[in-house]
Amino acid sequence: MADLAIKPPLAELNPPLVEGNHSYSTVTHTVSGIVERKTPKQWFIAISISGAITLMMLGMIGYLFLNGVGVWGNNSPVGWAWDITNFVFWIGIGHAGTLISAILFLFRQKWRTSINRAAEAMTLFAVACALLFPLIHVGRPWRAYWMFPIPNTDLNMWQNFRSPLLWDVFAVSTYGTVSALFWYVGLLPDLATLRDRARTRIRQLVYGVLSLGWRGSARAWRHYEMAYLILAGLSTPLVLSVHTIVSFDFAVSIIPGWHTTIFPPYFVAGAIFSGFAMVVTLMVIFRYAFQLEDLVTIKHLENMNIVMLATGSIVGYAYATELFIAWYSGNMYEKFAFLNRTTGPYWWAYWTMVSCNVISPQFFWFKKLRRNIPFMFVISIFVNIGMWFERFVIIVTSLHRDFLPSSWGYFRPTFVDVCTFIGTLGFFTTLFLLFVRFLPMIAISEVKGVMPAPGASERGQH
Amino acid sequence: MSSYEIDGALWSRVRNAIAFLLLIGVAASVAGAVTEPERFYRSYLVGFLHPTSILLGALFFVMVMHITGSVWSITVRRFHENLIGALPLVAVALVPVVLGIHHLYEWSHAEEVAHDTLLRGKAAWLNPQGFTIRAFIYVAIWSFFALRLVHHSTAQDSTRSIDNTRSLKKYAAPGLFLGFISVSLASFDWVMSLAPHWYSTMFGVYFYAGGGWASFATLVLICLAFRSAGMLRREINVEHYHDLGKWMFALTVFWTYIAFCQYLLIWYANLPEETIWFRNRFVGGWAPMSVALLFGHFFIPFLVLLPRASKRNLKLLRAAALWFLAMHYLDLYWMVMPTFYKDGPSFHWLDLAPLVAVGSLYALGFWMRLKKHAIMAVGDLRLEQALEHHNL
Repeated sequence: MADLAIKPPLAELNPPLVEGNHSYSTVTHTVSGIVERKTPKQWFIAISISGAITLMMLGMIGYLFLNGVGVWGNNSPVGWAWDITNFVFWIGIGHAGTLISAILFLFRQKWRTSINRAAEAMTLFAVACALLFPLIHVGRPWRAYWMFPIPNTDLNMWQNFRSPLLWDVFAVSTYGTVSALFWYVGLLPDLATLRDRARTRIRQLVYGVLSLGWRGSARAWRHYEMAYLILAGLSTPLVLSVHTIVSFDFAVSIIPGWHTTIFPPYFVAGAIFSGFAMVVTLMVIFRYAFQLEDLVTIKHLENMNIVMLATGSIVGYAYATELFIAWYSGNMYEKFAFLNRTTGPYWWAYWTMVSCNVISPQFFWFKKLRRNIPFMFVISIFVNIGMWFERFVIIVTSLHRDFLPSSWGYFRPTFVDVCTFIGTLGFFTTLFLLFVRFLPMIAISEVKGVMPAPGASERGQH
Repeated sequence: MSSYEIDGALWSRVRNAIAFLLLIGVAASVAGAVTEPERFYRSYLVGFLHPTSILLGALFFVMVMHITGSVWSITVRRFHENLIGALPLVAVALVPVVLGIHHLYEWSHAEEVAHDTLLRGKAAWLNPQGFTIRAFIYVAIWSFFALRLVHHSTAQDSTRSIDNTRSLKKYAAPGLFLGFISVSLASFDWVMSLAPHWYSTMFGVYFYAGGGWASFATLVLICLAFRSAGMLRREINVEHYHDLGKWMFALTVFWTYIAFCQYLLIWYANLPEETIWFRNRFVGGWAPMSVALLFGHFFIPFLVLLPRASKRNLKLLRAAALWFLAMHYLDLYWMVMPTFYKDGPSFHWLDLAPLVAVGSLYALGFWMRLKKHAIMAVGDLRLEQALEHHNL
């Protein structure tokens, strides 16, 4: 095996997942160092900005609670607008984390090890941002517990189990719980590493408690591997189910533009697409900021760009199928919905979506471009924008011109809409900055698992 | 590596058997076409779709394996490649579908279209000329990619060059994209337009999911047949079967996911122009068949393949694969036949003849290729890694 691995052609087929001259200890040192070093000044600057934006979000939410949902642009006929757009946008972002940690694990795609930790953290933070929107959209968030099927005396009614909105409650809360568990189980060995390296009492205590007494015995590792496999198996259907149910929110209705059977897999592909774009955005920034180029190699970024090319093309296939079937159906309302979407008052939103989501990832057919860091950074931002627009296009253009021309309208966001959404970007960034400061952002023990064993090349086996 | 060549005597024996089946199938089909043309063409469509969808499923997965750089599948890849090498034969098998167009498709009758507003609106797509031209374009796309993939893989047997691996990747990426689009359109043309007023954007994915499922079942059966003939016992061992079993399991779930979503969305919205398709399958003799699909295509495969042990039990895997092929046939029958027989399924000897004819035609294409090259991708540079493959 090992002598094969050094033949030049095989090096191309099995590229090293850790570059540079790394040993186990330097990997530990590199990753733990981020947490242990003195906090860099740039980190304080970054978190001050993102914290200020988060405060703006809280201010907007407070203003919303004082005045009601009327402060948003939502109005008949557009009853769902930026709130649900943002919800679906953030939920979608989270999917890449679960795909990387669960599905790529089951598919034995070993390159996932350097990026899974950060991607999973991103999942949790994105889910937190997503949950905010339905919560504040109900208008009276202190009654949000009515969504759960628990006995209540002040309501005297039972939840509508036929409503996909209720399925959302279950789907998203399950997803959040399993993702958090998966992430935390994966963290245990690395938390123990930080505990063992800790120099202050308080760090020893905090990381010691968090690592749940991990000793790294063979038996513990065996249980750990099994738990990890089972959680991966459980998370895999969740990747599909969560966004499937989000797509049901629209597709079970009879609104042209919402009701189409391809929605479930198309939403899932779109979610993975947007999530990978966000992972690329974050990894490009943080691998540069913390000099992690040896661990998050260009090959990792290239693979993520290939996933974006594939999922972006699936999304393009779905757009094309929708247009074709709208024509093929012969249904005048279907035809109108799509004609209105592409050429109506929101044509600019539709074509922004198509340019960002379908056209921009096509550049990744070229190896040079998908290995070019500034270029992929720009494309990943485009994809983030495009996927936000996709949800906006689906939600708003389908609603704003319904069956009765007398009730047609045009949605315009208010400053509260805009500032709340920007606020969640700040909130997400704040959480991510805290994560990279206090927890190992790369799975140390897993990366070691994909490195050649020490001395393997001398012994000629591993 | 001459040891990976098939024994000449065995090869001729099997070839003769397949050729014999082909002759019987063709003779019976011709007899049916003459005596009962209507029934023949209907049965032919199902008999044509079953093996064709398997070849298409194989095409998809060969390309996926190249793109993902999959190592475990190298030892089984040549079988998949020999299957997709039969794709040009689809052009031959397609001829009766084109000849029978007026027996099969309501929209092919100008007088029907004339007094049907909806069909008039679709005439730009649904017309005999367009149907025929498109069908051969689809086959040309599939054959092009299939033959390029087979060419580079077999060339690598002697060159052992990384350039072939690079070329395989280069063809696989656009091939996946164009292949998926063309298979979707083919499923719209060949199956969905049987009920020309009905439409579902999911249909292409549904059709392809079933084909992919059956293609893994076919692959398992081929590998096991070679195993019982004493070939590739070490190269395709229980670890590889385990992975093939995982794929069959995953596709069981994927097919169900697609089928369920399509059904749920149509049931929930309850629009008459959409529900009619399912309504036609929930009445008379079709109702038990719908239930049989639910159990036979999902619950039973799901529960049987869920435990790790059953994916490593070769006898069980063989039984499961045979079962899956039967269920895939049932699924296609359930998609096609309710258009013609409203009261329930009426099985006929003519259902069998085209299936045997088309199936053995492709099998012959498969078998003829087997002799030309090694039966395993011996030139793949990662072959040794594939041989050492094991599951956790």
